[in-house]
Amino acid sequence: MFKALRKPAFRLFRESETHLHELNYLFWECTTRCNLHCRHCGSDCSQDSAFPDMPLEDFLAALDTIEKPAKNLTVVLTGGEPLLRKDLEKCGLEIRKRGLRWSMVTNGHLYDGERHGSLLGAGLGALTISLDGLSGSHNWLRQSSASYDRVTMAIALAAASPRLNFDVVTCVNQNNIHELPQIRETLMNLGVKAWRLFTIIPIGRAKDIPELRLTDAQFTGLMEFIAEARKSEELKVSFSCEGYVGPYESLVRDTPFFCRAGINIGSILIDGSISACPNIDRSFAQGNIYRDNFYKVWQLRFEPFRNRHWMRRGQCAGCSEFKDCRGNGFHNWHGDKQNVLVCHSRLTSNRQETPREIKLSGALGVIPTPPDRSTMRSLLTR
Amino acid sequence: MTRGWIRKLIGGLSFGSALFIFQACYGTPQDLQFDMLVEGTVKSSATGLPVKGIKVSVPETGSSHITGEDGKYGLWTMFTDSTRISFEDTDLTTDGAFLKKDTLIAIPQERVQLNVMLTPK
Repeated sequence: MFKALRKPAFRLFRESETHLHELNYLFWECTTRCNLHCRHCGSDCSQDSAFPDMPLEDFLAALDTIEKPAKNLTVVLTGGEPLLRKDLEKCGLEIRKRGLRWSMVTNGHLYDGERHGSLLGAGLGALTISLDGLSGSHNWLRQSSASYDRVTMAIALAAASPRLNFDVVTCVNQNNIHELPQIRETLMNLGVKAWRLFTIIPIGRAKDIPELRLTDAQFTGLMEFIAEARKSEELKVSFSCEGYVGPYESLVRDTPFFCRAGINIGSILIDGSISACPNIDRSFAQGNIYRDNFYKVWQLRFEPFRNRHWMRRGQCAGCSEFKDCRGNGFHNWHGDKQNVLVCHSRLTSNRQETPREIKLSGALGVIPTPPDRSTMRSLLTR
Repeated sequence: MTRGWIRKLIGGLSFGSALFIFQACYGTPQDLQFDMLVEGTVKSSATGLPVKGIKVSVPETGSSHITGEDGKYGLWTMFTDSTRISFEDTDLTTDGAFLKKDTLIAIPQERVQLNVMLTPK
């Protein structure tokens, strides 16, 4: 009976959260400069950014408009590569002075012992580092021959810190999906406790590289891998909240899918735009800190984020799962927004229609057979 | 107040406290750990003047901060029963060289004021 109550209770909870829209999580796109040129970058970042880094004072002025910040409000520094900013420690200390927490998403390339210490000293409390495969596939995606060695050193440093709430993320694609069991072993050897897996949606540079997208069979294989890996407590494995995964919902995450973009998650982007997650189509910006009061915008606008009935179009129009999926992750609505870019749930149900033999010619060579669910299970338990 | 209770009740009915601890899909985990701020000024015991370039650190966690021109520092670290703070001269030439000093914070608080005098070598 308790189980039967859960789904409707969760829908009610989601409605209540939407109504309250407490700001708990604020991305700050503090730079769009980057020291790598990753093939899958959704922000299309490079070493020569069109935008200068946002001055700390400008961000703080926007932050200071928040009346009574939520107790657990976290500022998440993202980019580009945040470690390229020399004043990162100052940024962190100023955020902490305001009674808020801060964290960072990084590619780990510049994360060494000295920076680790100074960032901890500046009150860094949580960190996410990307590892996108074993040496060959990671360096292929990152387009850097040194990236793997540097990121694994960074991961070892962060994992050893009792202070940091730390996890590793991996963007699963056709060149690394076969390596998931070995990546898992590597992470456990490095002392990592939490690992989140993503797929790559076709935006930014990623839209022009088909092998970055998984086939339906591979996606189902990924779900099976995560479900199996979650039975072990050595390393907490989960699927990111990028999309609603239908029958796998209760198997791959701790809680059901709930895209909180614009509900509990806001952002201040490099040009001052006020939006939700940075990978959301920039045309959804609700205002700009250089024109508007940030907190008033958060409180009074964000209608497309808080009322998602407009997403009942394209393949979502007649979908029976809409009441739980709500149009999937908001970042899946790009371009003319007439259809969702990816329906994760359909990826799992279409599995049988996908050809099993797919030849891929990535930098790692030809991958003859994409793994199916039984292969992924056996690889994991071997 | 009432809305907060309703929120917790509905959330608890569905999936418990995990619902309130979330992360954006391309973001980080949330930081829920209790920590403390140690701050103060480092001065020379010989001149009474502030000393810059002193690395203030917690050896057990690696957390560190370098004092500025005014000798001031502010260092976040884990909230533990006792915390060793180390003061070490990293730029031996600027203000002269100083002996390393370790001190122990035995009564942790959210904010600890810790002013230190360093002895010249």
